Amino acid sequence: STSSVLSTEKDKSTTSTGSTNEVASKSPEGAAETPKQKLLNIIGNMKVEVTTKKKFQQLKTQEIKKQATDKLEGLDSRSSTFQGPAEDAQRSKPLNRELVEAVSAVASSLPRSKEQTESELLAQLRRHEETTDKQRKGGTINIRNVISEMSIKRQSPAQRGVMISNRISLAMEEDGQRLKPDRLSSRSFDSRRYFLSLREGKRLNIFTKAPPETESALKTVSSPTIWDLEFAKEIAAVTDQPPRNGFEEMIQWTKEGILWEFPIDNEAGMDDDAEFHEHIFLEKHLKDFPKEGPIRHFMELVICGLSKNPYLSVKQKIEHIEWFRNYFDEKEEFLQEM
Amino acid sequence: PCTRQVRSYFVDWRMLRDVKRRKLAYEYADERLRINAIRKNTILPKELQEVADKEIAALPRDSCPVRIRNRCVLTSRPRGVKRRWRLSRIVFRHFADHAQMSGIQRAMW
Repeated sequence: STSSVLSTEKDKSTTSTGSTNEVASKSPEGAAETPKQKLLNIIGNMKVEVTTKKKFQQLKTQEIKKQATDKLEGLDSRSSTFQGPAEDAQRSKPLNRELVEAVSAVASSLPRSKEQTESELLAQLRRHEETTDKQRKGGTINIRNVISEMSIKRQSPAQRGVMISNRISLAMEEDGQRLKPDRLSSRSFDSRRYFLSLREGKRLNIFTKAPPETESALKTVSSPTIWDLEFAKEIAAVTDQPPRNGFEEMIQWTKEGILWEFPIDNEAGMDDDAEFHEHIFLEKHLKDFPKEGPIRHFMELVICGLSKNPYLSVKQKIEHIEWFRNYFDEKEEFLQEM
Repeated sequence: PCTRQVRSYFVDWRMLRDVKRRKLAYEYADERLRINAIRKNTILPKELQEVADKEIAALPRDSCPVRIRNRCVLTSRPRGVKRRWRLSRIVFRHFADHAQMSGIQRAMW
C-alpha cells in the first residue's frame, strides 16, 4: 500500500505542479485539494510505525517543496505561529525542520483549526521521537505519559443498556440459537463488543475430522532392512506397555480399528469422491456396445439398475460394465453364428 | 485348495470347510451375480443363456453361497443357531444365565 500511495502522490504532484505554474491565484486551492487527499490518507494511517511515518513525512516534504512557493507565502504571514511550535520543539529535541514544515502544510490543508492540529501533530511527532530513542537505548515506555494524553470516553446510559441487553441475548443464543434476524443485524453492527459471539473466534477443532497426519507413522526409507524392522519391533515391544486405564485401552482399540471414531462418521472408510451425475448417467460407458438388438436392451437395464444402487462406488460400477463388455466380446463369434 | 498345513484353531473340520466355502463364495460373488443376470433373462437369446449355464456350473462348487451353513461360532453346532448372536441355543443359554449376554434377561410375563 505504501508504494501505491507514493506512486499516486508522484502522479498527482506532477499534475499539480503543472496546474500551479499556470494559474497562481487558483493554485493554492487546486494544489491543496490533491495533496489534501494524500495527506488525509496519511493521517488516516497514523497508527503505522514510527519509521514509515517519518519516511512518509520526509517524502511528502520533498514533494511539497515543489509546490511550497505558495505555501511559504502563507507561512510568512503566520510566521509568529510558526515560531511557536518550533520553539516548543526545541525543548525536548529539535525536530526536523522539514517535518515541521510538513506539519504546517497539513494543518493548513485541513478544515479544522490550524493551530490546534499543528500542535497535536507536533506532539505526536515528539512522542514518536521519544519512543524511538527509548527503544534504541533500551528503555521502558512510561505508561503515565501515554495515558495522560488520552481522554476518557463517556458512555451514555442508553448505550450501556444496549450492551447489557446484547450480553443477555448472547446467553439466549447459546441456548437455542433462536435470535431474530433484526437482533442479529443490530448486534453485528454494534461497534463495541466485549464478548465473543458464536460465529467469531478461533475454532477449537474438537469436532472436526482429525487430519490424517497428526499421528503419522515413521516415514519408510526406500528399502527398510531386516535389521531396521527388527529394531523397530524391539522398540515397540519395550514401549508398548499395557494400557494403564480404560481410556488408554480405548485409544489403542481406536488405533487398531476395533473401535469406531467418535463423533461417529457415517462415511468412515467410504471415500467416494464422485458426484451424483457420475453414478446415474452411465450411458457414456455403453459406447462400445451395438446400438440395437437384445444386448443393448439388456445393458440398458443393467445401467438402470446400477444407477439406483447406492452401495457400489463408481469404480465398481464401471468394472461391472467392463466385465459384460469382455464377456460379450468373447461370445461374439458364437453370437454371429446365430 | 490349501497346500500348506492348516494351523488355526477351528472347533472341528466341518467348521474349517465352512470357512473355506465362505471365502470362496466371497471371491466369486460378483461373477456369479453377473452370469446369473445373463441366465435369468427373457431378452437375451436362449443359446447365450445355455452357454452361461454351463459356465456357472464350471465354477468351483464351494463358491456358491447356498453351501454355507450358519454354524455356532463356539461349538460348530449346525442346528439351533440364533442368527443375531451366531451361537447355538445351549451356549446362548449358558452365557445368558451367567449374565454375560448384554441386554438379555429371563423372560417372565
